[in-house]
This record gives sequence, structure tokens and C-alpha cells, in this order.
Amino acid sequence: MRLRAVVVLGLVLLLSLVVQTTLIAQLRYFVPDLVALIVILTALTRIRPEAVLGVAFVAGVTVDLVGSTLVGLRGVVYALVAYVALRTRDRAEIGRVFTALWAGGLTLLTVVLLVLIGLLFGEASVLGSQVMERLITIPLANALLAALLGPVLVRAVDRDTTALRFT
Amino acid sequence: MLSRSSGDRTLPTLITLLVVGVLLMTFDVRLQGGGVVGVLRSGVQSIVNPLQEVASYVVDPVADMFESLSNVASLREENLVLREELAEAEAAIVAVQDQLARLELLEQLYEMEASGAELGRTVANVTGRPDQVALVIDKGTADGIAPGQPVVDTNGYVVGTIEHVTAGSATVVPITAGPSGVTVLVGEQVGTLMPQIGSDDMRLEILEARGPVLVGDRVVTSAASVDFPAGLPVGEVLFDAAPSLDVLNSWVRPYFDLDTLRIVVVLAWPPDPIGAVGGEEPVGVTTTTLTSVPDEDLGE
Repeated sequence: MRLRAVVVLGLVLLLSLVVQTTLIAQLRYFVPDLVALIVILTALTRIRPEAVLGVAFVAGVTVDLVGSTLVGLRGVVYALVAYVALRTRDRAEIGRVFTALWAGGLTLLTVVLLVLIGLLFGEASVLGSQVMERLITIPLANALLAALLGPVLVRAVDRDTTALRFT
Repeated sequence: MLSRSSGDRTLPTLITLLVVGVLLMTFDVRLQGGGVVGVLRSGVQSIVNPLQEVASYVVDPVADMFESLSNVASLREENLVLREELAEAEAAIVAVQDQLARLELLEQLYEMEASGAELGRTVANVTGRPDQVALVIDKGTADGIAPGQPVVDTNGYVVGTIEHVTAGSATVVPITAGPSGVTVLVGEQVGTLMPQIGSDDMRLEILEARGPVLVGDRVVTSAASVDFPAGLPVGEVLFDAAPSLDVLNSWVRPYFDLDTLRIVVVLAWPPDPIGAVGGEEPVGVTTTTLTSVPDEDLGE
């Protein structure tokens, strides 16, 4: 992975973590999971697949360390979702709507895995009190943001202005 | 689509990361947040929390403004209600001041001395919400905050306990999300409040129940609680319930509102945590003597 891509991705992840824990935490209806979204969109870049998995794992563990959940829970989930994203990324490159649907579906997988693996390890309230509501709102918000931000992020990381330029 | 060539190391990498992740989770469970995992957590929080503080300094006024704009229609009505509540509260303060003066007089008559049992309180701002569960506050070990200390809101309602602490910040886990329950008092009956998955309400279980609980009954922390001083308001009973085979089950809605919390108060309890852990006096003796009255005494 190139140094520039590391720096850009690191800054974007740190920014998304800070925004997630301050601004997004105060919103009621628009509640994306920004870090998960960045992890999913990273699969669309030209970064080596092994590095994408590493980034996903480190990002997840960082979120766990900042919060109160079991350390490693999000690391495992984000790595699994990044793997599925890498295996299915060609579906996201068809058009903007497909990027949104793909990211939304993977976000749904993320929150479902978080709940299931969290329950296995005794983390009963990993999504807070409105679990069912969040199972819908988080993927929807991420799908919307993926359509808007996906191409921008990929172009910034890859330094390629033609990436994901749908016609 | 990724190719499945011999150079594709994606799957081995994933398996390695999953193993590392499961090991981390196991360590965290076994070490109960301490050890290496605790050091890692403190390190990361020390880096991220200053950024969160700066972000919340910018974000909070903007969020307040949008909240006010969205509620502008109901603000006038709310102001009237608040004025009435303020007038009632001021009247209540006058009444309490009278009672305090009377108490002081009686203490002088009976030559009683103040117990010095006032709890230390640290007011802290909520600077972040790292997940949908916990709160991050801007006070840490430098301000005397220690893991396990009780946290209440500005009304004195129980919020939760401190879980992790760094020099300048701490993580609060609410009672609705914590792994353990809260020992509470409903009337004269001691029970346990347990958090429930996907709900802000908590399940109340009273073993050896002697009587029913009714809707609206006030639930306060019990002297039997090891996490909270006695007498702190927790919530109110949601449903009438009667004992069945000495066991009573009902639901309680906590008073605090996690979504609107901006300021919390951390109580220095036990008053001397270091002494309580390593000193000669056992924890229970210290806390009971200084801060609380046993339930039996309350009942009499």
C-alpha cells in the first residue's frame, strides 16, 4: 500500500470516527456507521486485498478501543465484511445506484453480524436500545452516503480522477 | 472479482485476523477490561478524546440550534410549563430550607455532629458517544475519577458507572447497557434491575417479595448495592405486579434520558476507593458507615 493512500485512508478513518462519536451520535433519524462505510468503500480502491482486510480489522479494533464494547468484536466483523466486499466489488462498479445498494447490503450484514457475534460474547446491547430500528436506519443512511461519497473516496485514495465515473 | 490464483492470500489473511480478533475478545473477557487490553484502550482514548472534545465544542451549539429550530413550535408552551415547574421548585426549596433549619436546631439540642458524609461530586461534560451505548466525559484520573464510580445526571438520577479512565477522560456505561444489574429498593422491598436487549426499560425482579408493586412506584438504589450509594432515584415502575411464589417481576423505566445527556455528575463513591480496596477496613463497612442507612433502618 502506498504511503499516500495510507495517509489519506488513516485521516479519513480518524475523521469519520470523530464525527461518528460526536455529531452522528446526536442525530436521531440519520445514523450512518461511517467507519463501516469507509471500510466497505476501501474495497473499491486499488489497495491490495490483504491490506484492505488489515485496514478493516485495525479500524474495527480502534472503534472498540474508543468505545466500551468488547475489544476485537468490530475488528472481526469489519474484516469479515471487507472480505465479502472484496469478493463482490464488481457489482458496485456498475453504477451509482448499485454502489449504494451494495454498500447498504454490506452495512446490513455488518450490523447483523455485530448483534449476533456480540450476543455470543455477552455484548447484549451493542447497538443500543433500538436494535430493530437501527437494523434499518444504519444501512439506509450508509447506502445514501455511499452513493454520494463512494466515488470521491476512491478517487482520493487511488489518485485517479476517472475512478467510478459512471456514465 | 478476485482471482483464486496461488498468489491470492486474502483468505489466509482473513482467517489470521479472525483468530487474532477472537483472541482479543477472549483476553478482554478474561481480563475484564484490564491488563494489556486496558492499557491499549487508555492509549487510544488518550489520542481520540482531545479530538472529540474539539469536535463536540463545535458540534454541540450547532446541534442545539437545529434541535431548537425543529422544536420552535413547542418552545413557547414548554417555557410556560418550565416556569410553573420553576415556581414549584423554588417553593420546595423554601420548604426544605425551613426543614434544614429545624434539623440544625434539633442537632444542636441533641448535641449531634455532622457525619461529614457528603459525597465528592465532579461535574463533567459529555464529549462523545463512541457507540450506541457508552458516553465519554471530559474528566479523568487527573480530576479524581476512578473506575466503578457512580454517575448521575443533573437531576440526581442514576445514569451508570465509570468503566474506563484515562488522564483526561472516562467512559460511562449506563445501567441500561451494563453487564450487571442494579440492586434497588421499591417501597421496603429489595430487588434487582436487569438491562434488557433492545429496550430502554429494565426488568425488575424481587425475590422474597412480600407485597405488590404499583405503577409509578419510585425505585431507588438500595444499601445492598455494591455499585451505588443508597437512596439515589433510578426510575419508576411501569406495571402493577403481585408476588407469585415469593417472586415478583415487573418493568421499570429509568428516569435519565441518554439521548439528551450533555452534563453528568460523577460521585466519589466509595469515598476512599484506595483505602477501600487496600486499606484495613472492608469496602462494605466504609461505604455503609459514611454514606448510607441500611434498608432495615429506613423501614423502621
